[in-house]
Amino acid sequence: MISSLNVTSQRVEGQSTAVLKLAGRLDATTVGQLERALTDAQLSGNRVIVIDLSDLTYISSSGLRVLLTGRSNTRKRGGEVFLCSLRPPVREVFEMVGFTAVFTIFDTLEQAMEAAAAVSRG
Amino acid sequence: MSSKPLTHSDKSLTIPARFDQLRRAGAFVSDMAAAAGFEGLQLNRIELAVDEACSNIIQHAYAHRPDGKIHIRVQAERGRRIVITLIDTGEPFDPEAVPVHNPEASLDDLKVGGLGLFLIRQTMDDVQFEFNVPGLGWGQPKRFNRLTMIKYL
Repeated sequence: MISSLNVTSQRVEGQSTAVLKLAGRLDATTVGQLERALTDAQLSGNRVIVIDLSDLTYISSSGLRVLLTGRSNTRKRGGEVFLCSLRPPVREVFEMVGFTAVFTIFDTLEQAMEAAAAVSRG
Repeated sequence: MSSKPLTHSDKSLTIPARFDQLRRAGAFVSDMAAAAGFEGLQLNRIELAVDEACSNIIQHAYAHRPDGKIHIRVQAERGRRIVITLIDTGEPFDPEAVPVHNPEASLDDLKVGGLGLFLIRQTMDDVQFEFNVPGLGWGQPKRFNRLTMIKYL
């Protein structure tokens, strides 16, 4: 079966920042991929994880839980998780459950990368 | 024969209670919702409610039991509303006993329980749980659980 979620991970040169790009659908059947990518990014010693949601078309509570756990694990190690570029259906679900007040969310990847660079320098 | 457009449709689908069937259930309901006139974010809300409700049945009512089944009935009235009924024969649960997600909770208090149920109630206009409903015989299960979700256009 072709997976309906694509997760690509990139490390930013000269910074302890990883960028995860999610494309497709984040639900009970696909959350395992994000969990693995988040764990890898944390174990590789990245302080900041930027999650680019520009191509994420759908999210359910399973996806929300994994993002929340990823954020809390990263913060326990003194790091940060930044989200960016939420599409309207995804943003609406974040707003319903109050996650827009929990996560640091940027409109664009560029803004998220600037914030990540600032944390990395700090 | 009159070519008057069909305004009511009533279809059912029975799926094995497995996560790999969630998308099939979601697509079945969204296709009928789209034909009834729902679009955009409304369609996403309907699909999300079905996804969350089926996930709860798979995880909690059947506790991933391999022979569990979910019966989905969709009654769509074009331009007016969609009624989605999910039937399972798993363990009943008390929706009142599920911790209610509080979107206003502070970060430290944030627990991830009850998110699915919270989303179902947020996305649908009317949500009704019934448990241990007696069957009518003729091959029907003796007792079943029924969740009815209604969304108006």
